Amino acid sequence: MSKLNIELTINGKKRKVETTTSTRLLDLIRDDLHLTGTKEGCGKGECGACTVIMNGELAASCLILAPQADGAAITTIEGIGDDKYLDPIQEAFIETGAVQCGFCTPGMILAAKKLLEENPHPDEEEIKRGISGNLCRCTGYQKIIDAIKLAANRLSSSDSGRGKKDA
Amino acid sequence: MLKSYVGKNVCKVDAQDKVTGQALYPDDIYFEDMLYLKIKRATHPHAYLRRIDTGKAEKLTGVVKIITAADIPQVKNFGLIIKDQPVLVGVGQKMRYMGDALAIVIAESKEVASQAVKLIEVEVEELEVISDPLRAMEKDAPLIHQDSNVLATHYLKKGDIKKGFTQADIIAENEYRTSTLDHVPLQVEAGVGIYDKKSGVIKLWVATQWLHDTQADIAQSLGLSKEKIRIIQPVIGGAFGKKEDISVHLHLALAAMETKRPVKLTYSREESMIAQSKRHPFIIRMKTGVTNKGYLTACQVEVIGDTGAYASSGPAVVHKGMYHCTGPYNVDNVSGVAYTVYTNNTYCGAMRGFGTTQMAFAYESQMDILAHQLGINPVQFRLQNAYDIGSSTPNSQRLTHSVGVKETIKGAAVMAAWKEGSP
Repeated sequence: MSKLNIELTINGKKRKVETTTSTRLLDLIRDDLHLTGTKEGCGKGECGACTVIMNGELAASCLILAPQADGAAITTIEGIGDDKYLDPIQEAFIETGAVQCGFCTPGMILAAKKLLEENPHPDEEEIKRGISGNLCRCTGYQKIIDAIKLAANRLSSSDSGRGKKDA
Repeated sequence: MLKSYVGKNVCKVDAQDKVTGQALYPDDIYFEDMLYLKIKRATHPHAYLRRIDTGKAEKLTGVVKIITAADIPQVKNFGLIIKDQPVLVGVGQKMRYMGDALAIVIAESKEVASQAVKLIEVEVEELEVISDPLRAMEKDAPLIHQDSNVLATHYLKKGDIKKGFTQADIIAENEYRTSTLDHVPLQVEAGVGIYDKKSGVIKLWVATQWLHDTQADIAQSLGLSKEKIRIIQPVIGGAFGKKEDISVHLHLALAAMETKRPVKLTYSREESMIAQSKRHPFIIRMKTGVTNKGYLTACQVEVIGDTGAYASSGPAVVHKGMYHCTGPYNVDNVSGVAYTVYTNNTYCGAMRGFGTTQMAFAYESQMDILAHQLGINPVQFRLQNAYDIGSSTPNSQRLTHSVGVKETIKGAAVMAAWKEGSP
């Protein structure tokens, strides 16, 4: 359990952190950086609650050791939006009732973010595949799928300029 | 007020905090100088604890204190209905399932606490492990607690069961078994505790479904007045009945009082699976009588509910299941018996439906089997027996309003694209 220093970019900010060889990225994010929006549901990479975007890919932060993230660019839920500016995906989750207990929500939103970046017009099957690494025990998923559809519609209409004019 | 809200979507008050990751669940709460707990659990599902040695674990750098039952002789058992669950199993006492707690390790970090747990040495005297409730009910089965392994027996009687079966042309008699289920709320059991020396108040941040019952149970177990226990409800990451029972609460309280420092305890998912409540597996023996015209005349049921090592909500869940033995169908003659049985399995408590979902598997299967034997349409068979306003349930409750089962059956048949000849 030797100590070492790593440097990573988290939500756009460079951070130098002292960690250990056995610390998981999830623990570094939660315990050291106090970004507690990233959750632990299983510790086995099965539930998706600990999802972050690392170097552009979805990653289960419970399966990554902190030193493996040295030099990486990481986005957590705190980097998606906040009280002053909500991402359209976050707005859609609120409006469609896709949030119940909320424990899966950060991971779901990051999975949705990645999906819509790669495929701005997903059909229902593609949405299901996009969130297939994330478990939800409350909603039955339908409202989460509705939220992602709504977000996709809004994002594509703002691409065409209408959203920008309104803003 | 009404005009503003009724018929309109209202955003949930906490939804924004949840989508931005700002909502604080129990494990998201941190304090300066906080210590971490880990529980040493049973090493055998049914055994006397003969020796526990924490010496090696205590020598590990970063271990602050290890609490065993010897340190807390004044602490009493806890439990939702029956106080049968020990806070810590002591030497000479029995562990009754793999989730029983033997020691509370308090350390400066999670890693040290986990390492220390592994260094605790335990010797046990193994007993017969009872994993089958039918074995638990046999006369020569060892007792899991002091009294009978049958913790509770409930009866149900309506009309004249003998007459009901005499009126029947066809009788179906079958046994159904349902499995143990974990609720798997995404947030595992977790919490933070602080002891305030001045006021003697223990503050606990634990996601829990029965705040006031839990407060009272903690108080009686610790021998304190309720005013000394303050539970602050953080955001709950799913519960579904699993968070009705005490989990981390008492261990946090004891560790906070001992160390006078903030303490945190978070279960692993495996620990949650092993230690915290489940849905009861049921054995249901059901005998149902019906006339040639397809009208139910009698239902006789025997329910054996495996409540595992501790009662939890078991006595209430198992008999509630029995009360639903006819489902939403009119039956004038009903007789039932429900046994809530201790075993060495993980204890079972409340889970969505509280016993009724297990029973639905039995009575709906009976309906399909009887419809097949009668050669009639199972949808029509259900509709002609279904409750209406004025129907009475197995425990003779007269239904006076809001009986929508016929519309539900019709709607379900449409949505399932059911047609004559479908299974």
